[in-house]
Amino acid sequence: MYACIHSAVPLFRQSLLELARGFSPEVEQADASTVVFSIDPLRKLIGSPYQIASEICRYGHERKMQASLAIASNPDAAILLARNCIGVTLVTPGEEQLKLAPLPLTALFTHDIPVDGALLEVLHRWGLKTCEDLAALSERGVAERLGQAGVYLRTLARGAIHRPLRVAAPVTNYEERLELEHPLQLLEPLLFLLGRVLSELCGRLRSQSRAARMVAARFELEEKKEYSFELEFAVPLEESRTMLKLLQLHLERHPPEGPILAFTLRMEAVEPRRVQAGIFLPPTPPADKLQVTLERIAGMVGKENAGTPRLLNTHRPDAFEMTTLPLTDAVQSDMQPQVAGPGMLRLVMRLFRPALHARVHVVEYAPKDVLASGVRGNVVRSAGPWKTSGEWWAATAWSREEWDVALDDGALYRIYQESKSREWYVYGVYD
Amino acid sequence: MANIAGALCSDERWKRASELHVLHEEQKFSPLEASGINKLFLNGLPRGAITEINGRRSSGRTSVCLHILAQATARGEVCAIIDLCDSFHPVSAAAAGVRLDRLIWVRCHGNAEHAIRSADLLLHAGGFGVVLLDLCEANPRVLNRIPLSYWYRFRRAVEHTPAILLLCAESPQAKSCSSHQLQLKRNAFHWSGKPPFLVLRGLQVQALLRKARLVCPESLFIRTAA
Repeated sequence: MYACIHSAVPLFRQSLLELARGFSPEVEQADASTVVFSIDPLRKLIGSPYQIASEICRYGHERKMQASLAIASNPDAAILLARNCIGVTLVTPGEEQLKLAPLPLTALFTHDIPVDGALLEVLHRWGLKTCEDLAALSERGVAERLGQAGVYLRTLARGAIHRPLRVAAPVTNYEERLELEHPLQLLEPLLFLLGRVLSELCGRLRSQSRAARMVAARFELEEKKEYSFELEFAVPLEESRTMLKLLQLHLERHPPEGPILAFTLRMEAVEPRRVQAGIFLPPTPPADKLQVTLERIAGMVGKENAGTPRLLNTHRPDAFEMTTLPLTDAVQSDMQPQVAGPGMLRLVMRLFRPALHARVHVVEYAPKDVLASGVRGNVVRSAGPWKTSGEWWAATAWSREEWDVALDDGALYRIYQESKSREWYVYGVYD
Repeated sequence: MANIAGALCSDERWKRASELHVLHEEQKFSPLEASGINKLFLNGLPRGAITEINGRRSSGRTSVCLHILAQATARGEVCAIIDLCDSFHPVSAAAAGVRLDRLIWVRCHGNAEHAIRSADLLLHAGGFGVVLLDLCEANPRVLNRIPLSYWYRFRRAVEHTPAILLLCAESPQAKSCSSHQLQLKRNAFHWSGKPPFLVLRGLQVQALLRKARLVCPESLFIRTAA
């Protein structure tokens, strides 16, 4: 059995939800002025539906509310009756159709239903005025003429739609602010407080089966200054210890400019990462541990020097960008080398960054000896030149002639001459 | 006492404590497919150990290291490369078959301390298939300053783990801490065409596996990417 309370007075709309929550923790808010909840669990506590109705009325009377109450065997019948019948309406199971019969068809369309409003005009043209008229039609005939929407309307007019309550999940706030009695200057006591707040926020995350994708920290400093930053995680995290470590590493690298008076931590909650481990899959680094490790390394060598390289879609030499390691949940089966065969060794190049400026002696258009920092020798054999150029429209434009040269020191280098400046450089060594 | 001594002599199930052998964990190997190298590493690369790959410039040391990384990333393992002199070429690596999306690259810009500490952090984080510590092109004076205790620490860190620590340098660094040492020496470059229209086709190198029971040199041919 379900009870529905409806109040057309805007003043009582907020009190409606409180009143309903006083009787049941699971409340469906059909709209701003209508709430529905199940009264089955109250039967042992209060008694029959009559007693429950009188108890609800007593609560409403104490709060001086003006509302109508309906109790029916399904939520939709209760909503329709509460909206259209003044006072208390009590429907015993099986009598829904009888109670709904005098209601006009427009009442069905004011209900929150997945049906096109143009259908009402069609029903009026058929001469149907009330729910009784619609309920009297045969289901097959309605289905043939109006389809699924017509069948739904007919079932609603008969008060025979049974569905569970659409209970809205309470919105959880993943934000916490802490004001300090004394300004904090040292990192260690600050971390103690941050840990406490993070632990509380992570508890909220766990209770909702969520994980944090990002933590935003805002510090209020002395002299009305502010310091804020956001830490984005490669994979959603649930452990407060890992987050605290990442916050610590960030604060060590970028400390606030002054003593801290208050701070606010906010988390962005997302679905947690679900990993199905396989017996035959190779082990991968634990995501949380890897993030802390990479953050530690980034603290040493710089954020731009630690990560996963990604090639850019260009022919520009040495074009890549550093990204974070994409920790996919499962190893794809197509993980085979795309270019080289599994048993084939490929000659690769080792680069000099930046390219070594060189003095090259050219005889008959071919380099004869090369002199650069750490590279010196006569050319034994050479192949080239290969002209490459591109991106003339951008600042990254390049144009050069490349040579592969084997020097008498035994090594094989890639050298090039800039087309504009006519300067020579040693680009890399085949290794 | 006599009964116990008698039982020890008669029943084969009973053994003296001095006869008990210390149970060693069976060493695991990472399969290695490459003509030539697989003859040197018959079972594959040993996991939980340090393997050194040494050679001078153009000896194929980087090609062999990236080949090992390519096979590990193809198996789905996450690998790391600690690049002391910032000389790793991602385009070459991708052409050699390395899956860059499963590779962590740490660029140290010549700072050996950063390289060693990064390797230490990555090895202790665990879960990596291959960690390549690339010390090529580094000044020998800088490398000589690395304390030997670090290599012992690394050996302890990878022991009993599925990780392989690859050390790539011009000369041996880990000394007694490495389980295998592959010495590469270039033989010849292969060119096609006639001068002045030449195209590089590949590199012939000689590989010698040290610290192995059977030491015999093996010739490897490294092709250029098409």
